[in-house]
Amino acid sequence: MNDNLGNWNEDLVRELASKQARDSKKPQDNKRSLKGFPVWSWVWYLLGALYFILPLYATFTFSLEMKRDTLSFLAYEKAFADKEFWHTFGYSNLVALLTILVSALLSIPTAYWIRLRLPQARRIVEFITLLPFVVPAIILVFGLIRIYSSSFNIPFTDIALIPPLTNFRAGTTVLLVAGYTVLALPYMYRSVDTGMRTIDVATLTEAAQSLGADWKTIMLRVIFPNLRSALLSGALLTFAIVVGEVTIASFLGVPAFGPYLFLLGQHRAYEPAALSFTSFLLTWMAMGLIQLVTGGQGQTTGAH
Amino acid sequence: MAYLTLSGISKQFGDTVVVEDFNLDIEKGEFVSFLGPSGCGKTTTLRMVAGFEIPTSGKIILGGNDITDQAPNQRNVGMIFQAYALFPNMTVSQNIGFGLSIRKEPEVAIKERVQEMVSLIGLEKHANKYPYQLSGGQQQRVALARALANRPQVLLLDEPLSALDAKIRVSLRAEIRAIQKRLGITAIFVTHDQEEALSISDRIVIMNEGRAEQVGTPFEIYNFPKTQFAANFVGSLNNAGAEVIDPANGILSMDGVHFKTADTEMANRRRGDKIRISIRPERFSFAVEPLKDNVVDCTIENITFLGSVVRIQVKIGTTKFNMDTFNNPFLELPAVGAKEKVMCSKEAVLVLESA
Amino acid sequence: MANTTISTNASTPSSLRKWVGVVPFFLFAILFLILPSLRLFIGSFTNNAGHFTFDNILQLFEEQSILNAYWLSIRISAVTAIGGGIFGFLLAYSVTVGGLPKQLRSVLITFSGVASNFAGVPLAFAFVATLGRTGIITAILKDVFGFEIYKTGFNLYSFLGLSLTYLYFQFPLMVLVMTPALDGLKREWREAAENLGASNMQYWWRVALPVLLPSILGSMILLFGNAFGAYATAYALTGGALPIVTIQIGAQIRGDVLHNPGLGYAMAMGMVVIMAISLAGYSWLQSKSERWLK
Repeated sequence: MNDNLGNWNEDLVRELASKQARDSKKPQDNKRSLKGFPVWSWVWYLLGALYFILPLYATFTFSLEMKRDTLSFLAYEKAFADKEFWHTFGYSNLVALLTILVSALLSIPTAYWIRLRLPQARRIVEFITLLPFVVPAIILVFGLIRIYSSSFNIPFTDIALIPPLTNFRAGTTVLLVAGYTVLALPYMYRSVDTGMRTIDVATLTEAAQSLGADWKTIMLRVIFPNLRSALLSGALLTFAIVVGEVTIASFLGVPAFGPYLFLLGQHRAYEPAALSFTSFLLTWMAMGLIQLVTGGQGQTTGAH
Repeated sequence: MAYLTLSGISKQFGDTVVVEDFNLDIEKGEFVSFLGPSGCGKTTTLRMVAGFEIPTSGKIILGGNDITDQAPNQRNVGMIFQAYALFPNMTVSQNIGFGLSIRKEPEVAIKERVQEMVSLIGLEKHANKYPYQLSGGQQQRVALARALANRPQVLLLDEPLSALDAKIRVSLRAEIRAIQKRLGITAIFVTHDQEEALSISDRIVIMNEGRAEQVGTPFEIYNFPKTQFAANFVGSLNNAGAEVIDPANGILSMDGVHFKTADTEMANRRRGDKIRISIRPERFSFAVEPLKDNVVDCTIENITFLGSVVRIQVKIGTTKFNMDTFNNPFLELPAVGAKEKVMCSKEAVLVLESA
Repeated sequence: MANTTISTNASTPSSLRKWVGVVPFFLFAILFLILPSLRLFIGSFTNNAGHFTFDNILQLFEEQSILNAYWLSIRISAVTAIGGGIFGFLLAYSVTVGGLPKQLRSVLITFSGVASNFAGVPLAFAFVATLGRTGIITAILKDVFGFEIYKTGFNLYSFLGLSLTYLYFQFPLMVLVMTPALDGLKREWREAAENLGASNMQYWWRVALPVLLPSILGSMILLFGNAFGAYATAYALTGGALPIVTIQIGAQIRGDVLHNPGLGYAMAMGMVVIMAISLAGYSWLQSKSERWLK
C-alpha cells in the first residue's frame, strides 16, 4: 500500500513546530475558555436590562403620581376600592380555575392513554396541540362566535337542543373556558406529557399492577402525585394566560379582568397604571413559582 | 533529550490540587497511557498538554520548545475527545480537512490529504456523510483522521473508547495502535480501563489523586507493582495481613502459615513487623512436581466457572484467596470442602508499601 | 414503549375500544377548535347568497385595503422578528456562551418567561407611560437632552411605536427558544476547533453559527408568527388606528364592516394560512437543528 503516510516527513513537522514557536503570541495573549473579560456580553445584557426595566419603572412611577406633587399609593387604593375590579378579577380567577381543571382533566387521561394503550394516536394528538398556534385568539373567537351564536337544532327540525351559547352568561362562560382551554392546551398537554415521560409512567404502571393495584389506585397514588410539578407548572402558565387575556373576553362580552382594564384605560390614567404594574407582579410571581416547582424547565408562551 | 517533557506540572483549582508534581519524559513515537480512576487528574494533565488548561506550575517542553503557556490553537497537537466532537454541519471530508483549511493550504493539497486520511481509516464509502449518519466507532475514526490530517507532533486521546460498545472498543483500540505505530507518531492515551492500557501501551503511568504512582511497561506494572494502589488497580489481587518472621531469609507468617518472599526490602525489616502481602490469583496452582517455594495447605471454599478461567476460592489459614486456573474440560477439579495443597513461587509474593 | 395492556372486558371489538380513552379529547377539539375553524373555512368559500364561490379568496388579492392590511402585518411581524431575533440572540448568547455569571442567567430566563406573557393591555399602558406624550422617556429626552421626539414626527401609536412595543415580548421569546440551542453547543467543538488551529472568530464563523442557523431561523419564524397573530397589544395601544390584519378581523367580528361576511372569513383564513406556513417552517428547522444539537 502506498506508504506516503509512513513518511511522517520529519522536516515538515519540525519546521511547522518551530514556525509556530516563532509566530506564537505572547504567553498571556491567548483566549482560554472565557478567561478574558466578556465585555460585549455585559453590553448586551445591560442594554437588555435597560429596555426591559424602563417601561416597568415608568408604569410604577406614573402609578404613584396620582396625588399631585407627591408620591403616594392613592392610585392603588382607588383601583382596589373599585367594586368592578373585584368583580372582574374574581370572575377571571374563576374562569382560570375552571380552565385549569378542564385542561388537566382532558390532558392527563389522554396523555396516559396514549402512552400506554394507543401510541398510534400520538401524532394526531400532538398535531392537535399544535393547532392553537395556527389559530390565534382572534381567529378562534371569530369561529366560536359564528358557530355558537345560533342554536343547535335537531337535524331537519326547528327544535332547539341548546340555545345560542352566546346569548346568556353561563353560555358565554362555557365558551370562554373552552376557548382558554384551547389556548392553554399546548402548554398543559405538553407539560403533562413531558412529566409522564420523565417518570416513565408505563413502567410505573406495570410495577403497580404487578403489586396488585387497580385502576383507581394507580391513578390516585402513583400517577397524580408524580405529576404534581408538571401540573403545577401547566396550571400557573394557564393562570398567567387567562387572567390578563383580552381578545376572547372582550368579543364574548364577559365581565373579565382584561376588558375591565382596557375600559379603565379609556377613562382613567393612574389606576390603569397601578393595575398594570400589579398584574406584572402577579405574573412574575406565577412564573417564579413555576421556576421553583420545575427547577427551571418552563415553557414559553407568546403574545396575545 | 526526550521529545515531550512534563516537568513539575501541578494544577490547582482554587483550593483543590488536581495534579501534583507530575514528571514524565516521553520519547518520540512512544505510546504512553495515563491510567487511573475518575478524578485522578489524568484528563487534566492531558488537557494541559493540549493547552486547554494552564499549569499552575511546571513546564511542558515539546520538541525542544516550551509550550507551557502557548495557546491551544498554536500548538499543533492533535486531540481526540471522548464525545468525538465532530462538527455536525460538515461532512466527513470537510471535518478531516478542517485544520488544513484553517491553515489555508491549497485546495488540491487538502483534497489529497483528506483522501489519504479517509483511506487510512477505511471509510472511503462514507466520505460525504454527516456525523449523525455514522456510528460511534465510525465517528471516532473520523476524529482520529481529522487530528492526524494536520500532522500533529503529538496525538492526545482523552478516553476515546469509553463511549463505545465493548466489541468496537477492542477492535478500534487495535486500529488506533496500528495507525500510531505505522505513522510513528507520539501518543498519550487517557483511560480508566486497565485492559485497554495494558494491551496497547509502550508505557503506562498509573495515576492516583493527582500523582503519578508508577511509570513502567505494562509487563512491569502488572508483575512488579510498586504500590498497593497500582497493584490493586491493574489486574486482580489477593491481599492479606502478615508478620515478618525471618527478614534475612524473607520468611513471613500469614495467619500462622509461612510464606517465603523474594521481596528485596524484606532484609531491611525487623522480626515482628506487620506488613501486607499481595499475590496474583494466577500465580497459585495445585501442588504438583516440580514444587515451588511455597506449598501450603488449604480448603476449597468455592469454584466459579468464568469461561476461559476457573476461579477457585481457597482458605489458607483463616484468609480466603482466589486462585485462577485456565479452563481445562478434562481436568478434575476438587470438590468444595476438600483439603488440598496449593503452591506459588517466592517471586509471586509481593510486599508492597501500604497505600 | 411498554406493552402494558389495561384490563378491560372485551365486549366491543378491541380495535374500537382502544380509542375510548382519547374520545373526550377529540370531542373537545372538534367542538371548540376544529368546528369553529371549519366554519370560517367554509364561510370563506361562501358568498352572500349561500353558494360556493372563489370570489372571496380572489377579492383578498384584489381589495387594496386588504392587501395593505396584510402587507402592514407582514412588515411589522418581519421587523420585530428580525430585530427581536438578533438582539434576543445576543442576550441569549451573553448568558450562555458569553460567560456572564449564572445568577444573571436565571434572572434573564425568569424575566423572559414573565415578559413573554406580559403582552396585551398592561404592556400597552406601560409603553404609553414610557414613550407616550407624557411618558418618562419623552420627558427625559426633552428635559435632559432638549430633544422633543414628538416634534420630529415620532408617534407611539404608529408602526414604529407598535414595533418597539412588540419587541417587549419578542426579545424574551427569542431568549427562551435560543438558550437551549446555545446550551447545545458542545464545549468540545470549540476545543476541537482550537486544537485544529482555528481562532475564536473562525470557530464561530465555520462551526457554531452554521450549527445554530436552523435554530436561529426557526426561532425568527416563530417570532414572526407570534407578532402576526397578536391582537390585544395592537388594539390597546393604537385603538385600531393601525390597520393590521388582526385589527381588521376584529372590526369585522364586531360589525360587518366589509359588507361581505365571506370576505371576513377569507381574511381569517388567509391569516391561518400564514400562521400555518410559519409553524411548518419553524417545525422543520427545529427538527433539523435537533439532529445536530442533540
